[in-house]
Amino acid sequence: MSLVRAYRTLLRLYPNDYRTQLATEMSTAFEQAIGERRRQPGSAFVRFLLGEFTDLLIGAGTEWIAKLTTDSSVRGRCMPDFRMMRPPGVPRELRFAATCLNVSHPSLPHEVMEAQERIAMLVNRMVDAIANHDFAGGRRYSFEERQARDELHLLREKHNIEDSETIK
Amino acid sequence: MRNKTPANKPLTEPVLLILLSLAEKPRHGYSLMKDIESLSNGRVRLSTGTLYGALRRLLQDLWIERFEQGDPSRDKQAYRLTSVGRTQLHAELERMRQLTRAATSRLRTREA
Repeated sequence: MSLVRAYRTLLRLYPNDYRTQLATEMSTAFEQAIGERRRQPGSAFVRFLLGEFTDLLIGAGTEWIAKLTTDSSVRGRCMPDFRMMRPPGVPRELRFAATCLNVSHPSLPHEVMEAQERIAMLVNRMVDAIANHDFAGGRRYSFEERQARDELHLLREKHNIEDSETIK
Repeated sequence: MRNKTPANKPLTEPVLLILLSLAEKPRHGYSLMKDIESLSNGRVRLSTGTLYGALRRLLQDLWIERFEQGDPSRDKQAYRLTSVGRTQLHAELERMRQLTRAATSRLRTREA
């Protein structure tokens, strides 16, 4: 594995909003730095790499703490979370399916509730994938969602549940 | 919020050097790293993790802002000092000047 690829892999430890805004720049800066430091003697280059990777790990922890302890309106000044935004052309009901639909109906059997939660999760993942231009992923989630809806239909028949009580 | 921090609270060395570097002209990440190394006579070499962590905090506190240069790609985003950042930098330099004056005066008194 090349050093740049290892660096990019470690960048995945950072919060998503941070990665979206800064990961490309960071890896470009690292590539430029590594190009220059390679000309230095071996021990200096190893020290440089150790420093970079250690600081990257510490930075990931620090950023998670900052994300969890900072008000989202303050953090949003520099780190807007694109996952929270509804992409153009995606209906509001679809985007917020998990929260719009009542998936925690106490009278429903456990397996039906699980199936409903799975559908809501798949819908959200599909929308996220489309928003990130991952169309192959979007199609995969769409296919899985259709399968999950078929399973839910069978469960409804098994438990004699009316359509109005569950996700259609 | 950092922009409401009392002026007498010292800045960390990486933050001070970043602000000093940006005080001259807008720079992007790698250019900042090189300039900071040169500013500190090779003593301070910021890693990318430290640099971008500090840049993220400075962006959040509105001390710096993103700056559109000729190349608008996300690979090389430039940053520049805001008026809030410049005020904070002046306040920090004034604090250091006052401290240097006091230290010099104490040393003179002791040596006399």
